[in-house]
Formats: sequence, structure tokens, C-alpha cells
Amino acid sequence: MKSRLLKLLALLFAFTLIAAACGDDDDDTTTGNDTTDDMDDGDMDDMDDMDDDGHDDDMDDDGHDHDDDMDDMDDMDDMATSLTVTGPERDESEAGAIQEVLGAWGDEHGIEVTYLGSADWEAEINVQVEGGNPPDISIFPQPGKLADFARDGHVVPLNDEAAAATAANWSEAWTVFGNVDGVQYGVPVKADLKSLVWYQPARFAANGYEVPETYDEFAALVDQIAADGNRPLCVGIESGQATGWPFTDWVEDMVLRQHGPDVYDQWVAHDIPFNDERIVSTMQTVLDLWTEDNVFASSGSIAATAFQDNGQPLVDGDCFMHRQASFFSAFMPEGTSFGDGEGEVNVFYFPDINGDRPVLGAGTLAAAFNDNDATMALLAYLSTPDYAEARQISQATRKGGGATLSGFLSAAQGQDPSVYQPLEQSFLDVLATAAIVRFDGSDLMPADVGAGTFWTEGTSAVNGDITAQEAADRIEASWPQ
Amino acid sequence: MQGAILSGEDLSKIFSTLVLIVVAVGASAVLWIGVNLLFNQVRTSWTRFNALAGYAVGFLLLLLLQGNRLLKPHGPDADSITRLGELLWTPLLGALVFSALAVILANNDDRAQRLWIASGSGLLLGGFIGIRLAEDARPELEVLPLLLSTVAIAGISAGIALLRRRAPAPAALIGGALGWLIGGFGVPELGSGSAVESAIAAVVPGLAIGARIGLGKNADMVGRARIDAKSRGAIFLVPALFFVTVSLIAPTLITIWLSLKDEDSVDLVWFENYGSVFTDINSFDVGDWTNIFTSLLFVLGVLVGLGGLAIGLVLRKRTGDGFSAGGPAFAPLMIAMVMIVFGVLSVLRGTIMNNLWWVFTVTVFSTGLGLAIAVLADRAKLESVAKSIIFMPMAISLVGASIIWRLVYVARDTSKSQTGLMNAVWVELGRWSTGSGIPTVLGTVLVWVLVALGVASISRSLTSRTYDKIPLRALATIVLLWIAYRFTFDGIGGFRTNSAGETVPDTIFFVQDQPFNNVWLMVILIWIQTGFAMVIMSAAIKAVPTELIEAAKVDGATESQVFWRVTLPQIRTTIGVVVTTLIVLVMKVYDIVKVVTNGNFGSQVLANDMFEEAFLFSNTGVGAALAVILFASVLPVMVLNIRRMQREA
Repeated sequence: MKSRLLKLLALLFAFTLIAAACGDDDDDTTTGNDTTDDMDDGDMDDMDDMDDDGHDDDMDDDGHDHDDDMDDMDDMDDMATSLTVTGPERDESEAGAIQEVLGAWGDEHGIEVTYLGSADWEAEINVQVEGGNPPDISIFPQPGKLADFARDGHVVPLNDEAAAATAANWSEAWTVFGNVDGVQYGVPVKADLKSLVWYQPARFAANGYEVPETYDEFAALVDQIAADGNRPLCVGIESGQATGWPFTDWVEDMVLRQHGPDVYDQWVAHDIPFNDERIVSTMQTVLDLWTEDNVFASSGSIAATAFQDNGQPLVDGDCFMHRQASFFSAFMPEGTSFGDGEGEVNVFYFPDINGDRPVLGAGTLAAAFNDNDATMALLAYLSTPDYAEARQISQATRKGGGATLSGFLSAAQGQDPSVYQPLEQSFLDVLATAAIVRFDGSDLMPADVGAGTFWTEGTSAVNGDITAQEAADRIEASWPQ
Repeated sequence: MQGAILSGEDLSKIFSTLVLIVVAVGASAVLWIGVNLLFNQVRTSWTRFNALAGYAVGFLLLLLLQGNRLLKPHGPDADSITRLGELLWTPLLGALVFSALAVILANNDDRAQRLWIASGSGLLLGGFIGIRLAEDARPELEVLPLLLSTVAIAGISAGIALLRRRAPAPAALIGGALGWLIGGFGVPELGSGSAVESAIAAVVPGLAIGARIGLGKNADMVGRARIDAKSRGAIFLVPALFFVTVSLIAPTLITIWLSLKDEDSVDLVWFENYGSVFTDINSFDVGDWTNIFTSLLFVLGVLVGLGGLAIGLVLRKRTGDGFSAGGPAFAPLMIAMVMIVFGVLSVLRGTIMNNLWWVFTVTVFSTGLGLAIAVLADRAKLESVAKSIIFMPMAISLVGASIIWRLVYVARDTSKSQTGLMNAVWVELGRWSTGSGIPTVLGTVLVWVLVALGVASISRSLTSRTYDKIPLRALATIVLLWIAYRFTFDGIGGFRTNSAGETVPDTIFFVQDQPFNNVWLMVILIWIQTGFAMVIMSAAIKAVPTELIEAAKVDGATESQVFWRVTLPQIRTTIGVVVTTLIVLVMKVYDIVKVVTNGNFGSQVLANDMFEEAFLFSNTGVGAALAVILFASVLPVMVLNIRRMQREA
């Protein structure tokens, strides 16, 4: 009897512990957020404290009140003392560099800044926002998502200082991605250059191939390499939750080339339907290029090959070219050096068709969930070249230093180019000289499409389960009304 | 996140949490013991019980109202001391009034007087509370919903009372009071009504509840004993019911409600979400149903099934027992069923069909294999070792198992050597059967020896007149013969002939090739769940009384007859439990699909779809609808399972 009673009590104890732990959670990440609330209804809260002391059966309420008391003491002025930043970058080198740079800024200003990177950022940010418990700042890889949040009133516009800093540090080609209905919400913090083809110059020279200047030359080169009994391209689109995105990048790059930036913008904004014949024909162009003879897929099929696994075969010589973004340097095998020498890897610009040199870019944007002074000050800092340089240095060191590429790139104006390696400087040149920059379209489309059907139906089309027309029809049907 | 050293803030947080726990546990225990002590008074001193119970009810009721600021406060300028006083004296006053009323009623046996006292004071108290309601809690009454909900709930209550063979009037009164409260306070916006309206909203329930109490006669000794006995059950039940409501029933109802709303949970769209699930080609694609009849699996399944049917019919004519479990017709019919279901479900595609396929395959194979292993290992040498090995996958998490199997299924470019076990074997088999070296010769000999063994087993059955074993052996021999033929002449395994006419290796994309990639995913769950089925079934087999088995053996039954005719009927209920448990588990399959394909390549299942809709695409409505579909399809099986367990207990 006695031991049963004890067990029962222990169970009760454990349960209460869990309940209490759950109940206490929410002031960790939203210090900045709470401030304004507390200022507004501080009196009311005090009243609640009094009230709750009167009855002793409602323990959860008491727990919250303790927290509120602490917040009141912490946040006597309008400056939060701790900020939480979340984002999708969670590699040790990336997350570590962000934490180091933000932490250093925080130390200077007496603010504790914590960066939390998560592979499941997309799902988590939804849950946090819907649960009323968002971070202070989040780094968005998709402007479409940022726009959704901005229109729903979840993220707040930049204040004047932060907006001015952003406008001063980034060209309009980039700030426009953080602009929703004429109001600046996002600060660009990272830029990726997607219209690149990775190759080994020495192997090109050994086989007598030349870097193509036009898309026709590129297509001819592909045919020639295949005719020589080699595989011209490495393609793999497997990427866990995001399987299919390299296909969408190809399609976007090709839409930009075949039909120009105007059609691209209409397509992304859904002014023309997704299954417009021009888009379908572009999807077909990509699929036609990816034949068995043209593509080396290290896992047998394109849909099964992880996008990260394309670096090794390129270095090994299983394929000659790999169209992938600037950040792919991070996925090259360890010890790969970049340049034109034997065994070294370099990039060329994915050639255009109409001579207008369009560039497909991508990147991340930081946006705030509250307008606390500290939050806005941090956003203003994120837009500066100082941040870009500090992060580049920290990330390159974490990757191994020396000639290794960091995988980070920023288009902030006024950066000291010497912090970048020569190859990275050439990326910056492409970014600087590009007349037409377009953001990765799937990141601009609604999540249902851009992070949903465009990936999944595209994967089905690549896998040969459905045709390009069927895929486009299904994607169009899934576009939210 | 960073640094393991606890700061002072952390420590104080831990300390306050600990204090909170101690207080919470203490308060809960005191409350619970107090209620028990209170009901101890029922038999010994009825008046004291009523006084205390009235006191508690009054105190809690007014504390709830005052504590939530539903009663008119002293005014916005009142200082906190006044408010604290108000919070104390209002409940105290209410407690005293209720207590006095309860004592009066407890000592009055006159029915008319009781009715007058109770309903009168109910009226007064209701009116008082209604007038004192805070302005932002006053409802603007809408006549129609008010009357509708009152009549409806009163009617339902009376109906239930009638069904339980009780008097309907008291139940109708309580139901009416509840309905009036819901109709009055639940439907319209609060804060826009007048004091009169809130008085009306509160008077009627007060009157009804008072009348209900007044109608009941004062409990005699028998009645008090019954209250005492019944209250114990309630006291034990209420905490559990509270947590079940908060953690299970409320979320279920909210999910159903959300499934009727749009993606932002704002507008009511009724069944549009369900409609969109069934019109989405990715979740429900039966357009190609005519292809069923040209599917090889289906056609072969029908042929095998017809064969089994013929054998069964002939046997029934001869011996009167054609279709019993374990008989000659049993194996062909089972195989035919699996083939036909596979044939149908490989043509009808979509998330819902995938779930059905999962449920069928994993349940049938896990149960079947589990049973087979349990029987074969029973009383065998090294039984515990064998069973431990089969059971071991149960210890691996679904995600871990999925990663392991993904590596097993991996295919690599055919110019490289295969690292995935399955493809390595498959491609090597292709090399053997198409090559000309010693392995090819050995392989050819081996397959034909196997065919010879099959033929030998059939002829042995013929000579020993155990005809019932022939169908299964014949089926196996036909399959072996086909393999041997292919191995010798065309070659079998991972190879193909390329455009230049050379034979080159070819891999199978276990994870990418539709629709049978689904089956390869199911294998993972079968691998895990067979151990579970085996352990449960093994325990049941061991529980079959040995007398029964010995008696059957004395009567001349063979081992297989003992199994099919004695053991199997004895463990039938256990099989039922295993099957229903597996169905519920498989219905919810998520991890494996998430890890291996993430729903790509036509392998989407309901649970993963639900996650993606709700949390990635923010389509709360569709996500909730999928959750409800999942819930509704699991529910009947759960009910069946629970009822069976209750019957057994």
C-alpha cells in the first residue's frame, strides 16, 4: 500500500514538473516582444497578481505571474536585453559564424543575442508565429514567405533608421525583395548567385572543349561531350524535405533566358498561369536536356541523387559540368582548390540566349517580429558591409581558412573585396555587372507552390512519372486562389 | 543554448519552479483529501455535510465569477486593497448564503416547502448575480438561439433520462438551465447588453436549478448511503476526466471545427476542405481503374484464386471440408487475395489508397510472419535467441530503421559498384545469369537442383497421399521453374541491353519506382512490427493448455493439424488484438515516409500530407480535415479493439 502511494505521488510530482516546465517556457525567446505588452498593461498584470494570490488552486497562473515580475524588472526601459534570431542556416560554420558576429555586436551594445538555426525552420516559424511566440528576428530564405507574414501583420516594417541603413547598403535590385506593397520589411543579409556552371578548366582543355559563350554553344558542347562517350552534366535534385529545388532553379534560369525577365515576373506573380505553354516548353527543354546519356547521377537516377553529391563526380571526372549556385563551393570535396590549374575547379556564367545576361539570384532576408529599439538596431547592423565582412571572415575561418571558400556571399555595397577569395570576387563581379537580377522564383511563389507542388510535381516529372504538361497543370491547380 | 553553467537567473527560475511544484502538489492533495473528508460526513452528519458542501459551492462559484472579473467591480478607480477585499468578501458572502440554504433544505422534508424555498432562492440568487454582472460580461440576448438551445438541450436531457428509465422532468430542468446559459452567454457577443438582459439570462437558470433541487426529496438514510458510494467514484474520476477533456476531447473537437474552416481558420467553408482532399489527384486518383484488369498481378491473382476455389469446391464435394484454414485451398486463396489487392492498389493511386495499401500489407504480413515464426520457433532449439533477433528491430526507432533501409535500397550509377545491399545482390545476380564463368555454371546447376527438389516434393506428396500439400508445393515449383528458365536462357537480375547491344548492369530504384516503391517502404515497417506480432502470438501459443494438444496427438492428429485445428482457434482472440493494434499503428504511419521519400514518387500518406498542409503550407483547414479523416478511419478499429479487450477482461 505504502509503496503504491509513493509511486502515485512520484507520478503526480513528475507530471506537475512537466506541466510547470511547459508553462514556464514562453518568456525565453520573446523578451523583446513582452516589453511592449508589459508597458501597456502593466497595471492590469499587477492586479492579476493580487487576485491570484487570493485563491490557491490555480497554480499555472501563479507561475506566469512570477515570470511577468521578472520581465518587469529586466525591461525597465524600452531596450530589450536579449534578442533571439532564428534562421534556416544551421551548419556549424554558418550558424557558428552568425552567432559569433551577432554575439560580438551584442557584447558591444550590452545585449545578449542568440542565433538558433534549424533545419526545420519553415515548419517551426509557422508554429511559433501561430502560437504567438515568435523570435525577435528571423532570417527568411524565401521572400514569398516574408510577404505572407507581412500581409498577415506578423512581421513589422523597418523603422526609419533600419530602412535608411538598408537603402544605403544594398542596391535596389536586392532591397526590393524585402519590400512588400511599398513598405520595407526585410533586410538582405546574404546573396547567392545561381546562374553558374562549375567545371574543371584543365579537363576542358585536355579534351579541347571551350567555355560556351551562348546557350547554343552550351547545348552544342553538351551534345559533343555525350558524343565523345562522356557524361556532360551532373544533376541531382534529392534534398530531403526540399527535394526538387535544383529542378526549379534550372527551370527558372531557363525561363529567364528563353522568355526574358518580363515573362519571368508575370510567371512568378501568377499573372500568367503556371501551365502557360511557354513555361511548359521551358520545363520540357530542361527535361530533354537531362537524358540518360547527358547526365551522370551518382545515385542512378536524377531524382534519387542528393544535390550535395554532385561535387565528387565533378572532381572525379564522371561529368564535365554542374550548374549550381555560388554556395555549392561548400559541397565540393574537402581539399578541392579553385582556379584554372590541374584538378582545380572553376565556374563560368550559365550562358544566355538573347545576350541580355540575366542572373538568377537568391539570398536571405532578415525581418523583425517586434519594433523594439534593440531589434531594429540589430537589423540595421545586419544590412551593413561590416556585418558581411565579419561573417565572411568568421565563416571562412570555420571552413578551414586559407584558400577555402566560405560559401557565404553578400552583395552589400562597400565591402572590402579582399576578405573574399578570387573565385568569390568573380561572383561579386557577376553580381555587380548583371543588368537583370531576378530572385529565385520558387522562393517568391506562395509556399503551397514554391515549397510544395513546384518541387514535388517537378520531381515526378524528372522521375518520368508524369509529363511536363501534367506537372504544370497540377502546379497551376494547386496555386492558392 | 550556449554554455552549461547556470546563471543566477536560471537558478532562481529553477527554485521558483520547484516551489511552484511543491505548492501545486500540496494544494491538489489537500483539495482531493478535503473533498473525500467532506463526503465522509454524508452518512454521519447530513446537516454538516450540506452546510460544508453549500459553503464550498457558493465560495467557488462566486470566486470564479469575481476572480474572472465577471461581477461588477467597485469601479475603475478602486485601489488594489479594495479589490482584494472584494475578492474575499464576495465569495465568503456567497458561501454563507449557499451554506444556509443547504442547511435549511437538509432539514426540511415537506415537498411543497422545499420546492418553494429552493426555486425562490434560485430565482433571487440568479437575479442578483445577473444584475451584478460586469458590463463587459452582459449578453445581448437573441431570442431564437436562446430558445432553440434551451429547448434542444432540455429535450436531449429528458430523452437521455427517459432512455435510462428515470423521470424526465428533473433532467429537463438541468438541461434547460444549461441550454439557457449557452444560448444566453455563448451565442452573442458579450458586453453589449443591458443589466435587464443579463438578469434575464441568469434568472432562468437559477430558477431551473433551484426547482430541480427543490423537486428532489431530502435524502433518507438509503439515499445518503448511495450518495456516499457514488461520490467516491466521481472523486476518483474527475481528475482523470479533466485531463482527458483538456488533452484529448477538446483538441479533437477543435480540430473538427478547424477542418470546417478555411486555411486561415476565419471563415466557415463547411465541407470544402474534405471535398478538396477527394478531388486532389494526389490524394485520390482512381481515374485509371480500367488498368486493373490488364495488371499482371491482378490477372495472375484471379487465376490462382480460381484454382484455389476449384480445389476447395472439389474437396467440399468429396470430404465436406473445402475451405478450412490450413486446407489445400487455403494457401492459393491467401496468395490470390494478396495479389489481387496489390494489383488493385498499384493501379488506384493517391494518398488515401496508399494508406489502405499500407494497412493491408503491413497488417497481413506482420501478423502472418509473426505467427509463422512464433509457431516454428516454439519449443525449437535456441528459441529465445531466434526470437530475440526477430524482436530486436522493435528497439530501433522508426527514423533509425528508415535510414538503415534507405542505405539498403540505395542505387548508384551503374558505372560504379553498388553500395546498397539489395542492388548489389540484384546486379551481381544479373552478372551471374548473363555471364559465362564458374559462378554462372554453379548458379545454373543450383536453380535446376531447386526445381528438381520442388518436383521431388510433389511426387513425394503423391506417393505418400498427402494431397493437401500439393497446391502450395506446385505453386512454389512453378515459380522456381520460371526463375530457372530465366536464369538459364534470358538471364535474371540487374542488367539490360544498351543501344550498342552490350549487356550492362541495371539497378532497381527501390525508392523511386512507382508504384511498388510503396511496398519497399512497407517492408521497413513489417521488419519492425513482425517482432511485436511474434512476441504476443508466442505468448498466446504457450498459453494453450498442453492437455488439448496431447489429446489431439493421442487421437492421431499431425503437427500441422494440431496447429490449424487446435492451436489456431485457441489464439484467435490474440490474433484479433494484434491485427487491430497493427491497423491503428499503420494507419498513422509517418516517420518512414518522411525519412525515405518525404511523400515524393507517389508514396504520400495521410499523416505526412497532414503535416505538410498544416505546418508547411499553412492550410490549417485542409490539414485538420486530413487529421479528421485519419481519426475517423482509426476510430472504428479502436472501438472494436477496446470492446474486445473489455469482453476479455
